[in-house]
Amino acid sequence: MISTSSLSRKMNPLPFLARSFGSPINILITVVFAGILFFALPPLVRWAITDAAFFPAIPETCKSASGACWSFVIAKHSQILFGIYPDGERWRPLLVCALLIGMLIYSVRPSAWSKRLAWVWAGGLGLSWWLMGGGIGLANVESDLWGGLPVTLILTVVAIGLGFPTAILLALARRSKLPVIRLLATLFIEMTRALPLLSILFIASIMLPLMLPEEILPDKFFRALIALYLFASAYLSEVIRGGLQAIPKGQFEAGEAIGLSFAQLQAKIILPQAINVVIPALTNTIIVMIKNTSLVLVVGLFDLISSGKAALADPEWSSPSIETYLFITLIYFILCFGFSRFADRMEQRAKAPVK
Amino acid sequence: MGEITHRHFWTRARRDLAYQAIALLLLFAAVAVIVATASANLADRGIETGSEFLTDRAGFSLSETWLPYSPDNSNLWVIIVGIGNTLVVAGIVALLSTILGLFVGIARIGDNPLASGLSRSWVEIARNSPPILLLLFLYSFIGKVLPTADAAQLMPHVLVSQRGFAIPWISFPIAGKWVLLGVILVFAMIVASGKLATHQRKQRGKRPMWAPWTPILLAGSAIFALTMTGDGIGADFPIASGPNIQGGLILSPEFFSLVVGLTFYTTGFVAEIIRTGLLSVPSGQWEASYSLGLSRWRTLRLIVIPQMLRVIIPPMNSQYINIVKNSTLVIAIGYADFMVVMGTVINKTSHAIEGTLIIIATYLLINLTLSAVMNRLNRSVQVIER
Repeated sequence: MISTSSLSRKMNPLPFLARSFGSPINILITVVFAGILFFALPPLVRWAITDAAFFPAIPETCKSASGACWSFVIAKHSQILFGIYPDGERWRPLLVCALLIGMLIYSVRPSAWSKRLAWVWAGGLGLSWWLMGGGIGLANVESDLWGGLPVTLILTVVAIGLGFPTAILLALARRSKLPVIRLLATLFIEMTRALPLLSILFIASIMLPLMLPEEILPDKFFRALIALYLFASAYLSEVIRGGLQAIPKGQFEAGEAIGLSFAQLQAKIILPQAINVVIPALTNTIIVMIKNTSLVLVVGLFDLISSGKAALADPEWSSPSIETYLFITLIYFILCFGFSRFADRMEQRAKAPVK
Repeated sequence: MGEITHRHFWTRARRDLAYQAIALLLLFAAVAVIVATASANLADRGIETGSEFLTDRAGFSLSETWLPYSPDNSNLWVIIVGIGNTLVVAGIVALLSTILGLFVGIARIGDNPLASGLSRSWVEIARNSPPILLLLFLYSFIGKVLPTADAAQLMPHVLVSQRGFAIPWISFPIAGKWVLLGVILVFAMIVASGKLATHQRKQRGKRPMWAPWTPILLAGSAIFALTMTGDGIGADFPIASGPNIQGGLILSPEFFSLVVGLTFYTTGFVAEIIRTGLLSVPSGQWEASYSLGLSRWRTLRLIVIPQMLRVIIPPMNSQYINIVKNSTLVIAIGYADFMVVMGTVINKTSHAIEGTLIIIATYLLINLTLSAVMNRLNRSVQVIER
């Protein structure tokens, strides 16, 4: 089964029928899986499509249908996506989401790595802040009213954006010749990586009020952001360290020989090569971070899952939680899957021979 | 003139020393500020620090525990019970996802288009959706399909009701704590006798005569002792009485969602590791083995798997650690794992600093133990080069 595939596929791929029914074991596998599909698919299709309630998107449609209550998701999609953000202003968080995703995609391309990137980030975050909160020309919206997808994306993008420069410093510190600096960086990275993100969020929410004076104590949102930022920088730094290890020693020596300072050597010679090597691992870590942001639910932040739960609390509907969670999972799936496909394409292009 | 002496003073060694001194000073300053504010804050709120709270009565109940527990037990014991709950879940998930991941990983690179297509969708769904949503989804799904009225029979001796799934279990005649202690003790003695036997074999070049008998004798005497005390070990079948279930082992909907959800999630990652491992063995190895006349199964067992293990053990190690870490997500649906217990203990006793230290120490300990075991395993499969 394994052997034939790994051998034959290189020479000439077998036709579909031969792969399905070519050998006794393949016939058995096909029959078993087809049987499972035969019994599992019809009820699933009945539930999700034929018996499901779609339009009109009112509670009565769901009560008369025996399948999934998609009417709820259709009626409440705006509330699930944007929480309790004022109704007429919801184009603003939508624009912010598009902006943040665009920034993320823009930044992982090696051709974007220049001084301009910092300005793009500063501008993008400033613009998002203005769009979300209002001010000059836009109606004010208090941050208590923010929720749903923009909160999830802001947390992800800011944690990664701030975490990345920190991660570079941490990776360099961990490979430093100075024992004290190396030890401190290693301790921080290993401690953060050993703890589940949930416990870091939890510790941040109970320890920060104890450790910091009242005046500079950040609110819930910033506490979660700090925890996510520390988490992201520890994980990203290990990825970058992997890239640094892949750079041959000769590159360092050549850089030193032509008289570059430490900062010049790292910025011009080592880091561009090192980060290029680890782009696949970096995009993986970014996907992990997108998924991890869903955990801020447990420290009481109003993210996508919380706004879904809040929408479910409407007594007029029969609280179709399965459909709501499927909808939210789909949003995460589209974000993560789309991002990983984009990263794959980028990797293929990088591998392609230079003209 | 001044510039030259300046340059001479800041040699590279001195500059390095200065950097490190500054780093240490900054760290100490930060720690001092934090300690000062923390102790001031603690004094303000009238909280004392110390470890005495560990022996105080816990005073809260847990819905389901694997170690015996009552609210009258100490805080220390409830923390151990929480760690036990986490480890039970992590152990089950690790076992199930390794087995399933092996099949899914093999199916993905196999010939069969149906099997590889389904495996591929499993892997993509698992890798691109947050585990906490999988748990929430499963939990609300189970909540809707469980019978609301009387318990229903799923299979012979397997019942299902609003309280969860009930499966047959072994009944322990004596208090579970002592049974657990006895089992650990006997296991330790068996391991020790094995070590002693290996040591003697290395010294004298011959296996000692007692080596094969000691573990059998130890395990046998343990089972004998168990059966002699009380009524002996028997099977405990669940019996339905209306919506309630008596006897058997009841797996709550929370526990069930956690195990199924995390297994589904982790299997996606394990399958990818297995696939990479299998593909890392060059096809020439298969061909060479076939031409030596080895069967497909023996090729897999003797040639491919040993080479594959070298590639997959390090990433599998991080997956096992991830299982322990991901099991904390159950806080969203409510199962008394370590973090939930710690949260309750900290809320009740206000010993936040000690609690935080316990959390950090426990996860470090679990991770280091897992890594140590996996590193040992890793060393045993490495190529020994001369």
